Amino acid sequence: MEMEQTVTYLVLIPLMPLVGALVIGLLHMFTCTTRPLSERLYGILGVTGPVIATILAVKTFFELKGMPEEGRYFSQKVFTWFNVGELDVAMGFLADPLSVLMLLFVTFIGTLIHFYSIGYMAGDENFGKFFAYLNLFLGSMLILVLADGPVVMFVGWEGVGLCSYLLISFYSKERDNVLAGNKAFIVNRIGDLGFILGMSLLFWAIGSGGFDYLSLRENASALAPGMGLAICLLLFVGATGKSAQIPLYVWLPDAMAGPTPVSALIHAATMVTAGVYMVARFSFLYVQAPLAGAVVAWVGILTALLAAIFGMFQKDIKKVLAYSTVSQLGYMFAGVGVAAYSAGIFHVFTHAFFKALLFLGAGSVICALHHQQDIWKMGGLKAKMPTTYWTMLIGCLALAGCPLLSGFFSKDEILYMALANGYPGVWLVGVLVAAMTAYYTFRMFFLVFHGSARDEEAYAHAKESPKVMTVPLVILAIGAVFAGYLNLPAIFGGHQQVTHWLAGSLVEHHPHASLGLELLAIAASIAAFAIGAFIAYRKFGQGAEEPEFQGFAKFAYNLFYVDQFYHAVIVRPYKAFGAAIQRTLEPYVTDGHVKLSSLLYQLIGQAFKVFQVGYVRIYAIYMVIGLSLMSLFLSQTLN
Amino acid sequence: MFEHILSVMIFLPLLVGVALLILPVSKNGVRILGLAVAVVVLVCGLKVYADYSGGGGLEFVEKLNWIEGLGISYHVGVDGISLFVLMAAAVLFPMVFMLFTAKSKAYYCNLLIALGAMVGAIAAADLVVFYIFWEIMLLPIFFIIGLYGGENRIAATIKITIYTIAGSLCMLAALVYVAVAHHTQTGVWSFEIARMASLELQGGFAVAAFVGMMLAFGIKIPLFPLHTWLPEAYTEAPYSTTFILSAIMAKIGVYGVIRLVVPVFEVEMARYAIILAYCGVIGLMYCGIAAIAQKDFKRMLAFSSASHMGIIALGIFCMNVQALTGTLFQIVAHATSTGILFLFLGILEERTETRHIDDLGGVAYKAPVFATFFAIAMLASCGLPGTSGFIGEFLIILGAVKFNMVIAVLAGTSVVIGVCYMLWLFQRVFFEEANSKTANFKDLSAYETLVFLPVIILILVMGIYPQPFIAKIEPAAQKHILQMATQDNPQLAERLDESGLLKLTND
Amino acid sequence: MIADYLILSIILFCIGILGVVSRRNVFTVFMSIELMLNAANLAFIAFSRLHESMDGHVLAMMVMAVAAAEAALALAVVILLHKHKSKLDTNMFSLLKG
Repeated sequence: MEMEQTVTYLVLIPLMPLVGALVIGLLHMFTCTTRPLSERLYGILGVTGPVIATILAVKTFFELKGMPEEGRYFSQKVFTWFNVGELDVAMGFLADPLSVLMLLFVTFIGTLIHFYSIGYMAGDENFGKFFAYLNLFLGSMLILVLADGPVVMFVGWEGVGLCSYLLISFYSKERDNVLAGNKAFIVNRIGDLGFILGMSLLFWAIGSGGFDYLSLRENASALAPGMGLAICLLLFVGATGKSAQIPLYVWLPDAMAGPTPVSALIHAATMVTAGVYMVARFSFLYVQAPLAGAVVAWVGILTALLAAIFGMFQKDIKKVLAYSTVSQLGYMFAGVGVAAYSAGIFHVFTHAFFKALLFLGAGSVICALHHQQDIWKMGGLKAKMPTTYWTMLIGCLALAGCPLLSGFFSKDEILYMALANGYPGVWLVGVLVAAMTAYYTFRMFFLVFHGSARDEEAYAHAKESPKVMTVPLVILAIGAVFAGYLNLPAIFGGHQQVTHWLAGSLVEHHPHASLGLELLAIAASIAAFAIGAFIAYRKFGQGAEEPEFQGFAKFAYNLFYVDQFYHAVIVRPYKAFGAAIQRTLEPYVTDGHVKLSSLLYQLIGQAFKVFQVGYVRIYAIYMVIGLSLMSLFLSQTLN
Repeated sequence: MFEHILSVMIFLPLLVGVALLILPVSKNGVRILGLAVAVVVLVCGLKVYADYSGGGGLEFVEKLNWIEGLGISYHVGVDGISLFVLMAAAVLFPMVFMLFTAKSKAYYCNLLIALGAMVGAIAAADLVVFYIFWEIMLLPIFFIIGLYGGENRIAATIKITIYTIAGSLCMLAALVYVAVAHHTQTGVWSFEIARMASLELQGGFAVAAFVGMMLAFGIKIPLFPLHTWLPEAYTEAPYSTTFILSAIMAKIGVYGVIRLVVPVFEVEMARYAIILAYCGVIGLMYCGIAAIAQKDFKRMLAFSSASHMGIIALGIFCMNVQALTGTLFQIVAHATSTGILFLFLGILEERTETRHIDDLGGVAYKAPVFATFFAIAMLASCGLPGTSGFIGEFLIILGAVKFNMVIAVLAGTSVVIGVCYMLWLFQRVFFEEANSKTANFKDLSAYETLVFLPVIILILVMGIYPQPFIAKIEPAAQKHILQMATQDNPQLAERLDESGLLKLTND
Repeated sequence: MIADYLILSIILFCIGILGVVSRRNVFTVFMSIELMLNAANLAFIAFSRLHESMDGHVLAMMVMAVAAAEAALALAVVILLHKHKSKLDTNMFSLLKG
């Protein structure tokens, strides 16, 4: 049995994009200043790795599907990464239902974004570099997903952090972009600190029997409750950094500084979903620590609320989408927090389609308007960009939770599970956020596509994007419509295939709540969507003027001044402390013992200076005195 | 030649260095000869590495009676603990002859003498031999910084020299104490390091000797708050010397603690480990935060290096296999990352004629190869997985979690603090718009690329496939820790057990 | 009997010390030092005679040799000093003043 479950091609899935990154990176590095190579070459090289990875992912999926449900996994140990004492870390990969589900949409959407980027980045002087980073990003994410064990996962975990830094600061001549990249990396590292500590505690608690998921899962019952809680919370700190939750969400909106395909990649296929995946992956720990689950759920749903409030007042199209991502991630955490891991993962899955679609659609709009991102300067684009319009409409409906589209099913599942698992507070906030989501989504949609053009000149030049960009939109739109049907609950006549598929990887039990409760949840979700969308239509459907923000709106538009708060409370004191060390602490305090001893020497020297008169005969007198004392002493002692 | 391979590695550079100082050879001739000697040492080092069996005991032993009455002998050897420090010295040293041109031939001679002395100190298996080479090590640094340093070189030289000598004298007193204690307890005179481990040293004198030794090594490492010589010395020294100071000499301080202090003063170590660990983490945070306030990139990296040494030293004080292995691994990893960064900064200053961070910008567009290499070394120094920096840092933090959670959390902040100043440096130097200073920045020449490429590859290999290296270190670290725990010293075992410092459940 | 020799020796030695301490002319100081050396020689010879051994003689010879060497060196130094300052006053030479 063990032999059959070992395969040799798993490593190729992350390796392909990584090799692509290496090849493209080297080519670009050595030629960019002398003879830049053609975009065509980079484009072909850039998509090769992701395409092969996708094919392999599909192959893995079908092979896994052919296995019996019990013990449905493949693993591959490439080599022993390091082995110190009881710590034995293998460079190992694991394909089980959970990772394969992630694998499928990560490779698929990642590949689409690669194709889209060929069109979007055309003409950029660092075209090659972009694809090298993009490949590296995808490769890191695939390591994260396929890793067998927390340490290997951490490679991907940090890898995506690095790539987000590189890509956010891609237009690195502008200081603001680089600062956004720095912010992303540093905030992520704060989360990583939690991850490292959690991982270390996990090792000392139950890791000596093997530090891969299957062994950990087997030994998880030996965990002391307090220890389990500490580990779960520390790991969750890592997740808040990577998946942009309170209090570490601040980097994600700034991450819009990167090119739009990067935003799509970060928000949809890679990176931000990592936190949710990690919590689901460690479901065997979280089920043992319900308190940790409650913390996760509440942090998630409050993040969802906060981000939805921010999203309602933004005017940059990408910022609206960014906050919608933060908000949706909040839902996912609420899902995994209430121990509905499959529901959370399923929302990750559907979200990937419609969020990628929305970002790429927004990219298409931005391209058409020559990098105009202010929704109050758009309008009426429906006529000019039909493909973008219709696909964006589907994306918006899915995001807003319109019944029968993918977002509805997954979000509804989370809210229903919150209710069924005894978190009515989470459910209530969730429904409220659902209404707000519908509102800000359609606010953006109507302002961009409906009404009349607000900027005539830009409107005049606007035209539909090329095929290489619109085809991915259409494909994603199809996904956004139908992805939800993969996990249709029984009440809609479905069989919850995804939940069943994931059952082998997750530790969750499914509550049997009453039909009335389920109907209540569904009704509330539909009502929330209808109310939110209706208000948005009333306010913005016919064209609206940009309002002056007052009071709460201004406060929310400025994001509750959280950035300023962090700056004043953390960044400024940190820098001030550095400066204080440099100016006062180092020269006068830490170096004090040295300065003091040298001062002491000087004082002693001053005191003894008196005897150094300089005249030879005085020295002779000293000598005589000394000799006399010595002879006196000797004559005394010798007798 | 191979029977006396360690002696060759020690005395060839020493003798050639002194001889070239006297003989009328041109500057370039000295440089080429120096490079040749360094390469010979490198080849010998690789030979030692390849032939080392990984058993945990001393190998390549050479022993020659020297002062028989006192049991002093010329005694050298290599084990898993010294192997990696030795490799760091042997592998990195040729680079200093390859990259920068010096003002006079005496500079190269001094470097050679430093090389011989360092190898001697690393390979020494006798206290007196160790002490002699330890002192010789300082001499070339004194001359180099004093003669070829920057503007404030005299102050920096005086500071580093007096600081180090003060520490060394404390160590000398401690060494004498240990040897006398050995004579009292066994009736035999001996200065052999391995024999000292069996001593039972207790009482006020033992504590004083422990403190004396820790002072000497703490200054060399440097351990907070004894680091204050470092910013001056690192900044004033020529780049290749800063590189040696940071990449190799500081490591010999760490090595000294592992080799001399931990086995000999195991009781005191167990008792005071927590204080030393706090020194390590406070130093790591203090220097890391200080780095962000620096305007001069060399000084910034000096603080960064001191910050990293804090966590490396911490690995010793946690006293478990993971942390100790992490420290030994990090010794090489840090040399290849932060050490190499000093060389990169040297190139940067040579081409832009400034050390002021604010004066730079846009280098990445002018010099992609340079920027990429710099970025890889930088990320390794930040401990990114996939580079050499991660393994060691992770193992140390992992060990620290076992040792003390507060220490572990503080040590973990290195993950964040490191990126703060490094990203800032990278942004201001490599990103943003180029200006008049960087407009004509030349990328690394093919020659320079070839010089750096092996190190860059080493960084990645050590990050992706470190097990061959770990396999050579781990048995020695295991033996070292076990030796402490299972010594015929019930009192110690009890205390270790009480304080939860060591729980060897499996053995 | 021996006491007389020793008293003479002490007197000579003290005169020498006084000369070194109080006189400022370099030559006088120098001659005073010679006086002290000879006081020691006298003591050596006296003791030699008392113990009837030749050790004292040997030392006296040694001292005379040293004195000769010293004279050669010291006179050269005096000449240099004179060249330097044109005076032979010891108060002129106080470079070691702290």
